[in-house]
Amino acid sequence: MVMKDYIGMVLSVLVAFLLYSLLAKISVSLLFLFNFFSLIVIYFALEKGEIYGAFLGAFCGLLQDSFSMSVFGVAGIAKTIVGYSAGYFSSKINVTPIRRNFVFVFLLLCVELIIWSVLYSFIFSERVNTGGGLIFFQPLITAVLGSLVYRFVRKLKSSKM
Amino acid sequence: MPFSLKKTKSLIILLSLIFFQFVLISIQVPRGDETNYFERVIFSVFSPINNGVVSVFRGIGSLWKGYFGLHRVQKDNQRLQKEVFRLNQENSLLRSMLRTSKSEKEMLDLLIELEGSVLPARIIGLDASNVWKSLVINKGSLDGVKKNMVVLDKQGHLVGRIVDPVTFKQARIQMITDTESGVYVIPQGKNVPGIINGIGNGQCNLEYIHATDTLIVEGDRLITTGFDGIYMPGVLVGHVVSVVENTSLFKEIKVVPAFKIQNLDLLAVITVDVNELF
Repeated sequence: MVMKDYIGMVLSVLVAFLLYSLLAKISVSLLFLFNFFSLIVIYFALEKGEIYGAFLGAFCGLLQDSFSMSVFGVAGIAKTIVGYSAGYFSSKINVTPIRRNFVFVFLLLCVELIIWSVLYSFIFSERVNTGGGLIFFQPLITAVLGSLVYRFVRKLKSSKM
Repeated sequence: MPFSLKKTKSLIILLSLIFFQFVLISIQVPRGDETNYFERVIFSVFSPINNGVVSVFRGIGSLWKGYFGLHRVQKDNQRLQKEVFRLNQENSLLRSMLRTSKSEKEMLDLLIELEGSVLPARIIGLDASNVWKSLVINKGSLDGVKKNMVVLDKQGHLVGRIVDPVTFKQARIQMITDTESGVYVIPQGKNVPGIINGIGNGQCNLEYIHATDTLIVEGDRLITTGFDGIYMPGVLVGHVVSVVENTSLFKEIKVVPAFKIQNLDLLAVITVDVNELF
């Protein structure tokens, strides 16, 4: 991994951070629908492999935990597993076609939501706030957005070559 | 063989990362009321970034409005908004004092003490795990913010209190809708004290109201009593939306907080010690 990749990774995390803050300013409901940190983790895991996915997942998860009065590590564990899985499975199956990419990202986001919810409920002994059910749409909406961005970035890269 | 080595290495990394985070979780749970050093450091590192991001957006927004909008009207509007904000807070505090039946002399003394005790603060972050749990504001210990200070919205409704961590320029607010929050309240004009606890979905429960009690009805306005030693008496907390009688010793009473989360932008931190005032 070259310096350029690291800069790209840091910039992407910053963009996710920025978008998260922006969403919170627009409407709190939007926070339930989009998970930009997960998209960054999955994208880099697809590009760079499972080890980077796991590390970036841990970092982004802790960053997400820093937004909350939550316990550090809850989102971290969920994102570490998702980052690793994204990198590992994408080396076994081709997830470049847009439909397959969408299904792949959607499934990973569902897994992340389940792990996070279970850990949260276990640690806090309380039910996760679903935002009136909005959180259940998070994997779908984030996956649609993620697949479109992934496709756009790949097109941009291929046109540069 | 090299592939399996690589696979083993990556698995060890994954397990180490998960183990590290489990250790991290275990040192934080149970946390009690105090924050640990780790949490404090992370909060100190990331909240200024968050503050910066929000400030940049606000700056860009102000620039746009300032140059392309009606500059003078905007300034007047800002001044009037600040004035309304200040008057609302003053009004709320005065109403609180009236309820505690102070004499005119005591009221005047209190007014002098109250001057400059309202610190306006902006929200720079919401809790990612549950938006009804906590908020982060752009004022900290350098502005005189301390733990347990009371926080009101623009209309003077109770939002919550300052909790750890409080850094130089940021502080966290525990909202009354948090499940770990508790506020001693009383229905306006009725002598039936109870405790409001958040239930994590934007509503609260009014606890410890005896099943035989018939005074509390839907629509009752709940105000703080000050018995908890944190919140000053007389501040509007919320309204009763349902009263259910069941087989238990206490009634099941649902309360909607008076503040509206979508309107929370500017908040008022009461920087005086409310216990000394009331």
